[in-house]
Amino acid sequence: MSGPDVVWYLCVAAFLFCTGALGVLIRRSPLIVLLSLEIMLNGANLALIAFARQSGRQDGQIFALAVMAVAASEVVVGLGLIVAMARRRLDLDVDKLRTLRG
Amino acid sequence: MIAAAWICLFAPLGAAIAITLLGQRLMRRGAGYLATTSVGMSFVAALVSFAGLLGDSPDDRSHPSTLWRWLTAGSLHFDLRILVDPLSVFMMLVVAGVGFLIVWYSIGYMDGDDEERRYFAYMALFVFSMLLLVQGGNLLLLLAGWGLVGLSSYLLIGFWHERPSAIAAAKKAFVMNAIGDATMAIALFLLIQRTGSLDFEAVFPRAGSLGGWAANLIALGLLGGAVAKSAQLPLQTWLPDAMEGPTPVSALIHAATMVTAGVYLIVRTHALFEVAPRVEELAAGLGAATLLVAGLIALVQTDIKRVIAYSTMSQIGYMFLGVGVGAYANGMFHLMTHAFFKALLFMAAGIVIHALAGEQDLRKMGGLRRFLPRTYWAFLVGALALAGVPPFAGFFSKDSILAAALAHGWYGQILWVVGMVGAFLTGLYTFRMLFMAFWGEPSAFAREHFHALKRDVVGISLAVPVGVLAVLAAFGGWIQFAGIWTPVSDWLEPVAPALVDASSLQEAASSVIAVVLGIAGIGAAWWIYAARRAEAPRSLPLLERKFYFDELYDALFYRPSVLAARGLLALVERPLVFGSVRGISEAIRSLGSETRTLQTGLVRSYALAIAATVAVVTLVFVVVR
Amino acid sequence: MILAAFSAGNVLVWIVWVVAAFACLGSGIAVVSFSNPFYSALSLIGNLASLAVLYLLLSAEFVAAAQVLVYAGAVMVMFLFVIAYLGGRADAPWAGGPSWQALGAVGASAALLVEVIVVIGLKTSGRLSHSEQIDGFYGRPYEIGRLFLTDHLLAFEITSIVLLIAAVGGVILGSHSRESSVEQ
Repeated sequence: MSGPDVVWYLCVAAFLFCTGALGVLIRRSPLIVLLSLEIMLNGANLALIAFARQSGRQDGQIFALAVMAVAASEVVVGLGLIVAMARRRLDLDVDKLRTLRG
Repeated sequence: MIAAAWICLFAPLGAAIAITLLGQRLMRRGAGYLATTSVGMSFVAALVSFAGLLGDSPDDRSHPSTLWRWLTAGSLHFDLRILVDPLSVFMMLVVAGVGFLIVWYSIGYMDGDDEERRYFAYMALFVFSMLLLVQGGNLLLLLAGWGLVGLSSYLLIGFWHERPSAIAAAKKAFVMNAIGDATMAIALFLLIQRTGSLDFEAVFPRAGSLGGWAANLIALGLLGGAVAKSAQLPLQTWLPDAMEGPTPVSALIHAATMVTAGVYLIVRTHALFEVAPRVEELAAGLGAATLLVAGLIALVQTDIKRVIAYSTMSQIGYMFLGVGVGAYANGMFHLMTHAFFKALLFMAAGIVIHALAGEQDLRKMGGLRRFLPRTYWAFLVGALALAGVPPFAGFFSKDSILAAALAHGWYGQILWVVGMVGAFLTGLYTFRMLFMAFWGEPSAFAREHFHALKRDVVGISLAVPVGVLAVLAAFGGWIQFAGIWTPVSDWLEPVAPALVDASSLQEAASSVIAVVLGIAGIGAAWWIYAARRAEAPRSLPLLERKFYFDELYDALFYRPSVLAARGLLALVERPLVFGSVRGISEAIRSLGSETRTLQTGLVRSYALAIAATVAVVTLVFVVVR
Repeated sequence: MILAAFSAGNVLVWIVWVVAAFACLGSGIAVVSFSNPFYSALSLIGNLASLAVLYLLLSAEFVAAAQVLVYAGAVMVMFLFVIAYLGGRADAPWAGGPSWQALGAVGASAALLVEVIVVIGLKTSGRLSHSEQIDGFYGRPYEIGRLFLTDHLLAFEITSIVLLIAAVGGVILGSHSRESSVEQ
């Protein structure tokens, strides 16, 4: 294969995943959390595609397409939730939404 | 005949169950009729059994009958088995007959009480238990009946349960009886170990093969039970307190039948006592001591029922004396006559108490002869029978016991002297009671509170049984005249052959001296209480405090147990049991509330937890693999 | 390793890779860092685009196309619609001051990153350095379609059900409480 080895792609994927994780953990706006979640998913997708290339089989690409579809569905529901929250004049702050506190 | 015996046993039980199940649907007096009829049926059935036995030849009069195998334990087995023989039929007749009269009397006495039904259910239960005791064909059923009569006694003493004194008396009776039950159980254990059975036919022939100390222990255990049940020294303190129960209860349970169960036990198991002669003599000695102590205490009692209760204790002492020296038939004969006149005395006293609206204090009574003439005559008959004046019933039975004691050697002669002193005391305290209550001028109290009996169902049920018993107390002793005419002894001979046979001289001497002493006692009572020619001597504190038995037992048993219980509560139960339970619950609760702080409700902290866990798990996997 | 990979045709690939990779990482950090959600969304579009380039470098043409169409085209448009709808309320300033939670988050992510890289470096020990040879049909729609309809049919069907459920959920979430929409 020409260009960098699969290993380099995997490192990029790992970095993307951890960046997304950091965003999920640190940011307070649900919108940004959703965006960070997208980054995590994309990191996973990159790893899948890289392994697919490495093994010479397309199963990893199939998996990545399924992940994409699921991510899209999840975004639909997440955004619907955010819109519903906004309609109810709730604060769009993940820390303030704690009625499920034990 | 066998079927009649089973009917006799189960009829009262059927009544008790029926009254319990019918509950409020049954009229209150209906419960009384039901109970009375069932005991009446028992009496008729007992008569049938008696007639059946009469038809057999004297040597062939033992008929066991088994319903089913009740318990099996390895090689041991116990059956639901009754024995129809002269002794059990004798007791059946006494229990069912006197029981019938007393339950009939209760219809009138307990009329108007709110809990009449419960009373009659308990009375029927008691009659069943007593019949089970006397009809049982093995010692296990006897013990079962023993325990059940103890239970019925507890239930009936504490019948008026709103009274704390009644509850306390019921508990006292039950606890003291339980001591006797425990000693009896130990005796039965030993018997099972030695002979492998508890059936009468299996155990008694083998009595000779028991070792020396085993035989003594067994006899002692049985004696312990008899002493507790019959309120003899040293387990006698419960009987006076048991007068808290209604008067018919005192008549039936604590005079005529239950307290005589101890005497029956000794006669039935006489084979076991005869191989432990010291214990048998101990029984006679206890009986003699009791009759003396009880007679002395009765002299200073002011409650009419308590005088009669102590007199019961004393008379049972005579019975123990009789069976202790081996005069079994004489003891049983006295049991029968005592049932007649003691029940009579109690029931007549009950009429007096009813007429005076519940008053029992002799000092408040007086001159009731005028208000209750027929009751007075019935009471007089009973008192004369009790004092042993011929031709009334007590004379025939009591004197034959004393004669038998005389024939028993030097020990018996000492007992004879005690018995004679007792005869004097008996006359004294009995007529003290009679004169205080019935003679003299009517007291102010009597005038105020007296109300006569009406001639209705209540009145009839109170009067007729008393009348019947008066007749029996008067003429019932004519069944046996010592030495000369002995149907009772002959009847019981196959079952419990007498060990001693008093000579005619001893019989005559005992009779004469006893009658003289009895009349002397009556005379002394008349001197002091009726004619008022002398002042009653100031009573000793010893007598008034009942020889300090209650105080002794309190200090010896009750206080140490309370101390031990308190100590255990403070040292063991509170710290260990409560503490550990509370500790566990506190620990779990605190664990829960600490875990609760994890539920922050913040999505971010949950996500952080997931991320941290993933990091750790990945590390673990990397290191391990 | 790097020196050995350098040959004539490779240089272009390497340059493209470096540019795309850094764009990817930079835009990723930008998404997480901006306080204005609009800028975050735009950064995410950049991230997706650079990812598509990386996919192309990995010979996954169909997936790259799907990525641009679905993600950048549809999902991001949805995001931008919502951000526009929310207007000022969508602003997301940083949480005040570093808290222990933020530190924990940084620590966890860093640890995860280090672990993954260590794993890749140490444990795979050369197995990943050799890639299989591929033919011209690799990554073509034909192959993807064939696999979806034969080996991975179940995944295909379930994914479509998930999409259906998401659509239903979206409708439900968006349509309830007519009063609140009237209030606005």
